[in-house]
Amino acid sequence: MGQESLEQWAENDEGDTDSGDTATPERCLSVTVRGPWGHFRRIEGNVVKQTYRIIPRTTVAGLFAAVLGIERDGYYDLFAAGESAVAIQPVSEIRTINMPMNTLSTADGNLQSLNGRGKLSVKLPDPTTLRQQHNYEVLVDPAYRIDIWLADNDRYRELRDMLEAGKSHYVPSLGLSEHLAEIEYHGEFDVEPGPRGDSVDVDSAVPDAVEDIVLEPGTRCQVEESPAFMTADAGGRTTAGFTAYTYNPDAGCLKVKDVEPSRVDGRTVVFV
Amino acid sequence: MLSPKAFRDAYDDEELAEELPDSPIGSLRDIQYLYGKLYTLATTGGGEYAPYLTPDAADDLIDTDDSLLVVRVDVSGSEPRLADDQLGAVWSTRYTEGLIEKVGHCYFQNRGAGIDHSITHKSGKNKSPERLGEYAKHRFTRWPSEDAVQHLIKEHPDGWIIDRLAEVADNEALLTEIKEEVQRQISGDQTALITVQVKTESNEGYQWPADVDVLMEGMRAQRLSKLVTKNKASDSSGEAYDLVTRERSRTVGTAQDPINYYLGKQREKFPGLDIEEAWRSHPISEDAAVTVMNAEEFVEACTYRTFGTKVYYLPYFFGQPTPEKARKLYGLLYRTAVDDEDMTPVEKAYEEYKQHRFDETALRFYVSAVMPHQMSRYDVFGETLNGRLHYPRQLAIAHNHLVKNTSAFVSEERDDWTAPMPTNEKWELLASGNNRLRAISTGWYFYQTFAERDDTDADADDPRIQALVNVLSGEPIAVDVLLEEFVSRISSEETDDEYDGFPSFLVASQFAQLCALADGDLELLTTFDPGKEPITHEPTYEEYTMEIPDILATDGGHPADAKLESFIEETPALAPDPDGPSITDERRGAFLLGALVGDIGSYQEYSENRSTTLVDQYPVKSITRSRIKKVTQETIAKTLTYTRQEKKEGKSYPGTKADYIVDRLRETILDPDPDEWEIDTDDLRFYYALGITYGMNDHPDWDKVETDDQPDLEEEY
Repeated sequence: MGQESLEQWAENDEGDTDSGDTATPERCLSVTVRGPWGHFRRIEGNVVKQTYRIIPRTTVAGLFAAVLGIERDGYYDLFAAGESAVAIQPVSEIRTINMPMNTLSTADGNLQSLNGRGKLSVKLPDPTTLRQQHNYEVLVDPAYRIDIWLADNDRYRELRDMLEAGKSHYVPSLGLSEHLAEIEYHGEFDVEPGPRGDSVDVDSAVPDAVEDIVLEPGTRCQVEESPAFMTADAGGRTTAGFTAYTYNPDAGCLKVKDVEPSRVDGRTVVFV
Repeated sequence: MLSPKAFRDAYDDEELAEELPDSPIGSLRDIQYLYGKLYTLATTGGGEYAPYLTPDAADDLIDTDDSLLVVRVDVSGSEPRLADDQLGAVWSTRYTEGLIEKVGHCYFQNRGAGIDHSITHKSGKNKSPERLGEYAKHRFTRWPSEDAVQHLIKEHPDGWIIDRLAEVADNEALLTEIKEEVQRQISGDQTALITVQVKTESNEGYQWPADVDVLMEGMRAQRLSKLVTKNKASDSSGEAYDLVTRERSRTVGTAQDPINYYLGKQREKFPGLDIEEAWRSHPISEDAAVTVMNAEEFVEACTYRTFGTKVYYLPYFFGQPTPEKARKLYGLLYRTAVDDEDMTPVEKAYEEYKQHRFDETALRFYVSAVMPHQMSRYDVFGETLNGRLHYPRQLAIAHNHLVKNTSAFVSEERDDWTAPMPTNEKWELLASGNNRLRAISTGWYFYQTFAERDDTDADADDPRIQALVNVLSGEPIAVDVLLEEFVSRISSEETDDEYDGFPSFLVASQFAQLCALADGDLELLTTFDPGKEPITHEPTYEEYTMEIPDILATDGGHPADAKLESFIEETPALAPDPDGPSITDERRGAFLLGALVGDIGSYQEYSENRSTTLVDQYPVKSITRSRIKKVTQETIAKTLTYTRQEKKEGKSYPGTKADYIVDRLRETILDPDPDEWEIDTDDLRFYYALGITYGMNDHPDWDKVETDDQPDLEEEY
């Protein structure tokens, strides 16, 4: 990802010169990602495998990077704050089940090399060892409408072309490679300023506005904090920012005051 | 620990706000951090070292004789020497409240074996004077030579004090003197806290560890070293954003997680994870890590065991922690931790709520049912960050209301006929009671009605755990699962020799539960099957109040007929669908067949003295769509037999026996033909069982009828 992205962004989106943490784009691409299963492991566990309910923004970045064919650790700047905008809306009721899975250890000592001295070699756990059963909390039929904008015009166009053509470089998945994702492209939409007022019905998950949610007795409202931005360094990657999403698990809207929502394709969403 | 009032007095809004995190509660770690903060503030207070201290670790020694041994060393001169003042080289005294802060004890439990990070050490239980002497020596031979402490010699301005203490270790004569002095002071076996006092300036007195910064710093360094070295990690630390405070700081990879969700070395399924890099994937700052560990006491106070799992109920207030919310939460946690009352945190919260201590919509619970397989292998079987008091409380109210006030369970004052469902004061689910919230929050509510399981080992897919977590978080339970569980329990009790006869009270209990869960405001039942949708709708049983207007009196028809009519009409799962034929017709058919079997069955039992009745002949487990027709034919045939028999004996009534059931049954069972029914087997069986319960209970209300009436008048009309 060339450094030109920032300049181009400034050129093309003159109306949006505010390069603060949250950029409001003028247009965006809109897709629905869904699959029979999904698992976005919450960072506070590795012994227990619980899942986030809302696909984390970092996973969304990884998903589109997979469509674009960008390698691991190679796309964090492209999806950085100010360089990109993402809105996530759960479109089906959020449901989880426990799915016990048999697993093999991937610790160094338990890995065997296949074709170790060859040009191509791969490490696999010894398939003859005993499995350990672990319980995974898995999302059932997850589906999210995602609106995305990238400051990098070339990448943005490339992504649009790929989505339009229904193509993807790597196989898109929902958290784990075995949970295949289906991407439905809705098109490119203008992003218009959303309704203003004392309180607004927002369709998407609402990032970082927990205090502004109007709690209503009949509406279920939940919060979860998940990684939003990543950064790479010499030794690997770290999370560069978190977002607390407030969402309605029944895939309905939430009443929010003091947010600046946007309108995309007849829906009210909040970008981050 | 400070009382809630003392806590209020100790920290004003400003001071408290300073200590609270700046982001809303959005994860388990956020809750643990908040608990840890409150605990620290309430015990060791604020200050740099407070989160590292464990003031409660030696609670048992407070105000007991000779519970504190103080080795007193003068390091102000060129060589260290033992004190020769009035108190002497080793001072044996009572450990008191006032000294807790002074000794700066830091003890941590680590997989069974504990470790003291402070120079102050707590001995094992009842150690001999000789052993205690050895421990006293270790204050000099061991503590100062720990790697983390050694670093301070260069890094801390008072690092020389560490050096001097280490010199004591090199001096055999001093060590011998310390040991002998301890043995002189202590007469028998004793548990004691062993600490040191040092004199650092010739013109000053002896100081406690808490007053010597380098000793406290050494304690902290030791404590922190454990956050980055464990198992195979030598230094799992780096710079990243702390997952609790979101601030960029030094993060550590091997901090202990009090509920063992996270372990550095768990690698299966995620290849390439390296414990040395754990600070990246679970970035937690040193301070946050230690604070999270301090949550343990409060977290443990909020647990309960059920269905073979350990259930955590951690209350918190929605959104950003404010001083006001923090105080309320502290009050709740304090009372949960201190009170001996055997109450779940949900019940505690309800008690507080009743006293108007907080707004209910803002109170949430992190709920998690955990199965600890081993010390370090945990599984989570059900979890929510969004448990609320509202749902279990409303469910309790709805259930109580249902069994106490509605016509399904209570017969009308003016009627001398029973209510559709039997009641029994001794059956918890059939009587109104104050324990309902407890039953719901402990899972007992579902334990009574769902299929029984071996509870020594929890099951990942135990539907009772799911139901419990669902009710707490307001998430709907699948009606399909409920029916499957209900039918399985009915079948096992029907065949169990321990129980005699048909489990009517069980079925009535299950039905009450079903209706309560379907309560319109709660909507705790769901289904993907349009045929089962009516079951998820709240019934509209008439509510009885004290005043019953006369105009509602029956028109002279038989009470059993009117009762059946209204019960069906008011139960959406059974009522005819105004839009035409539907599964409800088949379900109603199953119910009516059950009602007839139950009715004739109890006639056989009481009037005919039969030991085997139709109820035994056609147990719930035997009912299938293909058998429905045959059972119906045989049961109806029985009504004719008994009608003929009774009429021959001289009894006189119009029509045939139980014709009000038979007529309705004929209507539903023929159209459509049972061969073409689509109803699920569990659905069919449950409503058949409900019918049996109804039929067996369909008789004059003995409490209201003249007692000299013979029971066999029951069927006479």
